[in-house]
Amino acid sequence: MKIPRTVAVCMLVSLLFGGTALAHKVNLFAYVEAGKVHTESYFPDGRPVEDGKVLVYDSGDALLLEGRTDQEGLFSFPIPKVDDLKIVIDASMGHKNSFELKKAEVEAGK
Amino acid sequence: MKKSPTLVSVVAMALLMLTAAPVLAHFGALIPSSAIVGKDDPKTVALQVKFIHPLEQHFMEMVKPKQFGVIHAEQKTDLLASLKEAKGSSPDQTEKFTFWTTEFPIKRPGDYTFYVEPTPYWEPAEDLYIVHYTKVCVNALGLEEGWDQPVGLETEIIPMTRPYGLWTNNLFTGQVLLKGKPVPHAEVEIEYLNASPGNPSMVLPPADPYVTQVVKADANGVFSYAMPRAGWWGFSALNEADWTIDHDGQKKNVEIGAVYWVHTRDMK
Repeated sequence: MKIPRTVAVCMLVSLLFGGTALAHKVNLFAYVEAGKVHTESYFPDGRPVEDGKVLVYDSGDALLLEGRTDQEGLFSFPIPKVDDLKIVIDASMGHKNSFELKKAEVEAGK
Repeated sequence: MKKSPTLVSVVAMALLMLTAAPVLAHFGALIPSSAIVGKDDPKTVALQVKFIHPLEQHFMEMVKPKQFGVIHAEQKTDLLASLKEAKGSSPDQTEKFTFWTTEFPIKRPGDYTFYVEPTPYWEPAEDLYIVHYTKVCVNALGLEEGWDQPVGLETEIIPMTRPYGLWTNNLFTGQVLLKGKPVPHAEVEIEYLNASPGNPSMVLPPADPYVTQVVKADANGVFSYAMPRAGWWGFSALNEADWTIDHDGQKKNVEIGAVYWVHTRDMK
């Protein structure tokens, strides 16, 4: 059986990136301190997620703000709203994860 | 014809029971409510600190430990003051014994290695003191960093298999250290915690050697064991301390154990 070239390339690419995605799951951790929300994005082995897109949603799933992680995987912003916040890290190649900050935690960090 | 037991046989049985007792392996136990804290899990880990026979479920009295803490991101935190006294016993023990509990709030991602140094336990049956330096690792929020770092205890097991996220039948490999140096050909005892949450039925050993598994480390103090059941498994490497403790004016030897606990789950 002859595998079309485009299919073969796709398979190769998905193998390459699929493997990476599994072994290198991205994570985001967030906490609130002195009126600011601090996020840290990292791979399981501790390497930072550089230049990853961070999206912040309220409890109604409305996008409040977005930003990018720095070289250390960090991104901070003033509390946008006292609410349950869903913070999404969207790195390249489908690496995506989210973290929930409860309203009480946001309130406590004002 | 049914014979009533003679005095000789009763005495023989009593002697057997006495001498059989030291065969049971003592284990320091440090069991968390979970070995992995994910982003959607409760962020508080409950821990139990005990001195037990894990398979037989027997408790031994445990006075307040000398040292209890956690190491995370290379930083140690003393948790001794957080320990609360509790009482427990196995189904076949009538007396209640002291153990210790605490609750620890997870604040940041990474590996949390909890460690305990018990107060020396006097074991008359073995004419020695026992100190089991016991550790367990809890992974938090997807960051798998720290589990292979030593705490710096007099003796300890350094896991060479990442000590969480293990399936039943996985091989657990560790290295036995004494004063920071590998212990060649160290003897390691292994027991299953019958009281593991989710254990569907008590494991009843068909003969004594099944209770405690024994493996020997290689020349670098490295040992391995494949864990055949879901639940908590204790690994205990025993050595004799180069110091003694006075007991009624006599110097007594001290058995120091390096104990490590890992959890397995069935693949399904």
